[in-house]
Amino acid sequence: MAIIKFTLNHKQVIVNGDPNRRLLDVIRNDFNLKGLKEGCGEGECGACAVLINHQIVNSCLYVLANAEGKDIVTIEGFAETKRFAVIKSAFETAGAVQCGFCTPGMIIATESLLNANPHPSEAEIKIGLSGNLCRCTGYNMIVEAVQIAMKAGEGLW
Amino acid sequence: MEKDISVSVNKIDNFEKISGQARYVNDIEIPGALYAKTFRSPIVSGEIVSIKIPTLPQGYYIVDYRDVPGKNAVKIIKDDMPIFAEKTLRYYGEPILLIIGPDKTIIQSLINQIIIDTTLTEPIYDERNIGVNYHYEKGNPQASFAEANRIIEYTYKTGYQEQAYIEPQGLIGYPEGDRITLIGSMQCPYYIKNAVILALGCRPEQVRIIQPAVGGAFGGKEEFPSLLGCQLAVAVKKIQKPIRLIYEREEDIEVTTKRHPSIIRMKAAVDKNNNITAIASDIRLDGGAYLGLSNVVLSRSMIASTGAYTIPSVDCSGIVYLTNTVPTGAFRGFGAPQIFYAVEMFVNHIAKDLGIDPLEFKLKHLAKQGDLTSTSGTFRDPILMNELVKRALVISDYRQKCEKYQIGDTLRGMGISLFFHGCGFTGSGEATIIKAQVKLHKDEHDFVDILIAAVDMGQGVRTTISKIVANTLDIPLEKVRFPYPDTDNITDSGPTVASRTIMIVGGLVDKAAQKMRKEWQSGKSATVIENYVQPDYIVWDEATFHGDAYPAYSWGVNIVDVSVDKITNQVTIEEAWSVYDLGKAIDNLIIKGQAEGGITQGFAYGYLENMEVKNGKVRQRNLTDYIIPTALDVCKLTTELIDNPYAGGPYGAKGAGELTLIGGAPAVAMAIENAISRRVHNIPVTPESIMELIEYGNY
Amino acid sequence: MVKHIIPETLSEALKYLYQGDFQIIAGGTDLMVQNRSWSETPVNFTKNMLYCFDLLELKGINVIDGRVEIGAMTTLETIMNHPGVPSLLCQAIGEMASPAIRHVATLAGNIGNASPAGDSLPVLILYDAWVELRNMAGFRMILLKDLIVGPRKTAMHPEEMIVKIVIPIHNFDFESYIKVGGRKADAIAKVSFAGAVEIEDDKIADIRLTFGAVGKTVIRNETAEGAWIGMTITELKTGIWRLIDMYNQLIQPIDDQRSNKYYRKTVAINLMKDFIDRL
Repeated sequence: MAIIKFTLNHKQVIVNGDPNRRLLDVIRNDFNLKGLKEGCGEGECGACAVLINHQIVNSCLYVLANAEGKDIVTIEGFAETKRFAVIKSAFETAGAVQCGFCTPGMIIATESLLNANPHPSEAEIKIGLSGNLCRCTGYNMIVEAVQIAMKAGEGLW
Repeated sequence: MEKDISVSVNKIDNFEKISGQARYVNDIEIPGALYAKTFRSPIVSGEIVSIKIPTLPQGYYIVDYRDVPGKNAVKIIKDDMPIFAEKTLRYYGEPILLIIGPDKTIIQSLINQIIIDTTLTEPIYDERNIGVNYHYEKGNPQASFAEANRIIEYTYKTGYQEQAYIEPQGLIGYPEGDRITLIGSMQCPYYIKNAVILALGCRPEQVRIIQPAVGGAFGGKEEFPSLLGCQLAVAVKKIQKPIRLIYEREEDIEVTTKRHPSIIRMKAAVDKNNNITAIASDIRLDGGAYLGLSNVVLSRSMIASTGAYTIPSVDCSGIVYLTNTVPTGAFRGFGAPQIFYAVEMFVNHIAKDLGIDPLEFKLKHLAKQGDLTSTSGTFRDPILMNELVKRALVISDYRQKCEKYQIGDTLRGMGISLFFHGCGFTGSGEATIIKAQVKLHKDEHDFVDILIAAVDMGQGVRTTISKIVANTLDIPLEKVRFPYPDTDNITDSGPTVASRTIMIVGGLVDKAAQKMRKEWQSGKSATVIENYVQPDYIVWDEATFHGDAYPAYSWGVNIVDVSVDKITNQVTIEEAWSVYDLGKAIDNLIIKGQAEGGITQGFAYGYLENMEVKNGKVRQRNLTDYIIPTALDVCKLTTELIDNPYAGGPYGAKGAGELTLIGGAPAVAMAIENAISRRVHNIPVTPESIMELIEYGNY
Repeated sequence: MVKHIIPETLSEALKYLYQGDFQIIAGGTDLMVQNRSWSETPVNFTKNMLYCFDLLELKGINVIDGRVEIGAMTTLETIMNHPGVPSLLCQAIGEMASPAIRHVATLAGNIGNASPAGDSLPVLILYDAWVELRNMAGFRMILLKDLIVGPRKTAMHPEEMIVKIVIPIHNFDFESYIKVGGRKADAIAKVSFAGAVEIEDDKIADIRLTFGAVGKTVIRNETAEGAWIGMTITELKTGIWRLIDMYNQLIQPIDDQRSNKYYRKTVAINLMKDFIDRL
């Protein structure tokens, strides 16, 4: 058993439990935040993505013990920001959402990418999204959404 | 003022999905819910001798075939799949029982302690065990072959394809009084409802099905969830507690239904003017351990046995053979991807054998309005394929690139595919089996609710059907609501399959809206119900495969530019162009999304997705080993539509959902063939098979 | 009773390692997959666990005296973005997995996992990378090539842990890294190749060739390489058949769910040939 303290969506939290629990399960079950999904459980699909210290991480592979002291943001926390509003609008304009299961992960990937690189090329966008699988869209419309967000959000990143 | 319905709107579910608020089955919390895990057959073929269950702690249960109150069979087309295996085991992973309880760790430990004793029987992996056997003819194939100037024969093979929806399968069930409610990832609420009624032997009112957000399906959630639903309903009836049955990814890949692998033998009679006078085909689909709906997949394949071409004589045989492998089932295209792959490659190969330009050869044989179809029905509506091809050639610069790539050893090739998809259920299915009914309800605040069974699994149906209602009623889209289907409130508008949802269901909804508009009284509530009526000119004889198989056809052309790496033989899709006639787009962006997603799946079926079943076991069992495209694997896609409004569809719309997958594989396979100058017969054309073709293949 | 220790310092970690049998976990991106259990249940780690990911002393990159020292817990993305890290390693890392994995995975983890298909290994071994292992008593340096002894097997003692990866900086005139996976991202290597050549006065001063995913461990043969020191590029190209013969014997790929022997061997040799052809 361990006591792990971290910041979740800008609030200090403490989780008392088995340090081998997956961060995915802690977030979904202990904090009832269902925006991140389990698509594969092996770090392939990216549906479980969260931001840890502003970087995209697969929460299905992240052990609770490693969460100590980290700044963790889920789609719910990110949804309260101006950056999210720009990305949301871009995804709507581009028609980049179909079944939506990959979408929170794609939004997290977009934020992680633009945060590190505010003006990515198309190739860099694809690399930024390369760890998020989508079966519905064929990706191009999601890449377009990121490009729209990048332009519309000039100055935010 | 006439507004063009095609103009895109903000999808009604965009916000919930983008913000992470959409609730898929595994996001739904039900207090006190138990977990269920499936104990599965460890053998490929044989019989159960005994099963020793460990002592169950208080609050833990076993549910197996003995608990099925009604019939231990899943109602699909053929009810040959048991809900729980009784004695005979027919595939590795076949479900035998559920262990149910409150703690997953304990459930896992209990499953690990189950001891099963079996006898093995010789597994069958070849074609000897015939499940169904169909045959039809058109014209006089015997005479055509007898008089042929030349007879050309080739065999084509296609592999498995896994739907790989990002949301794994799962349902939750709970008791409500003497009723059972199931909620989960599905395409067909009423398929599940009817299957559960048969399993429980109960009254229809005792089963309620609710659809939450669904994370992709592509046919994989057409009939398979009925199995889950039956298992869960039986368990809930026995235990009288809520139960969650959600699959893990590996489990999902290993045991849920996949696209039928096929072996297709094609033979053509060619006259001295280089016209194909007859095509004989022998189509064999591997149905896996159970037939399920495989006979309908076979039908669709057989009906399209001459592809987009008018061939005077046809001799088509088809079988579904059963093997001791994972049962195969519905996947976007439903038999069409297999046959269009074979026909397109075949017509191309015939042209090459005759020394004729393949595209010219295809255009010469293209079906025209008024022609007889392969099943001696009629192509009643305008066919704009010549325009589609012309446009596709222009935007892709096809001919110039073909010429350029032929010079030297470029390892670069162009491929083109011509194809159609029959919209809706085959023949009289809509009239005799589905009998769709739709319901619209208007409240006193003039909001209109769409109360139908159509499932939005990403293809945007909640938005497009809402648009039809809003446009026809001439009210703002915001006053139209499409709640997630709940069988307590909706009518059975039929399954979300066969590219029927816009054309048939949307068409019915349009009619209902028209009626509602005529009777509209602001401030007063009203309900309109509309029933499907089959146009009487659609006549289909199922036994002889004769007549009009479909009321309407959507058409497409795909062109792709491919490069093959000289050293590694890896394939890069450089760019692709598509032109489609799907009647009319109800929403441009939604159609663009369907087009790009569909062709990406179609290409991957042709060159990337590889699933081998060795000794009855799936070798590529997770998303690491079963590879689907990532963002880095896709190319620039250009999609255009040519409007060809269909009188029988709402605003002229025909079916679109499956069309866009069908052309990808033949286009990419032909492009690879042209790049490497070796004949391609089998897909997927992986780098390993390219290496073998370059070494040992011929041109 | 299984112990779960999150040490605050390296010496605390080493103390625990000395006292008991611990599984060290860094980012966890390999271990979490290998030990995964039914969703919502804790991962199946049966050994005592030592969570070393956040040991600050093991994070960071130093470029000194002609070598790059990479702390064991430095994440792949950090390594890839550091200007002092050899470009071939940056390239190899860039083709590993995905950004999400690279934000958490470490070189130490890639080394400790010792997969025959480990992406960083052919490049590290090409560079003659060393690994510093520490235990409570002291430390030792071992060539990475000698540390990995078989598939998933290292020569680490139970009380040791990797603290640093040391890469001698070598300025090659030509270098190349090619990874062949099933798709363009997020793929396990079917075959990989790394090659590097240094020329002095028109003669080969140094040549290194490594192959990944086609043997139990990374394939590198310094004797075969050494035979070319002092030769010209032209002589190398003319005599390439000798290298092909040699590596045809050394390369021992397998058939598995990803690819087959014939493809792997052919591509491996083709990659080497292409590298030499283009010198």
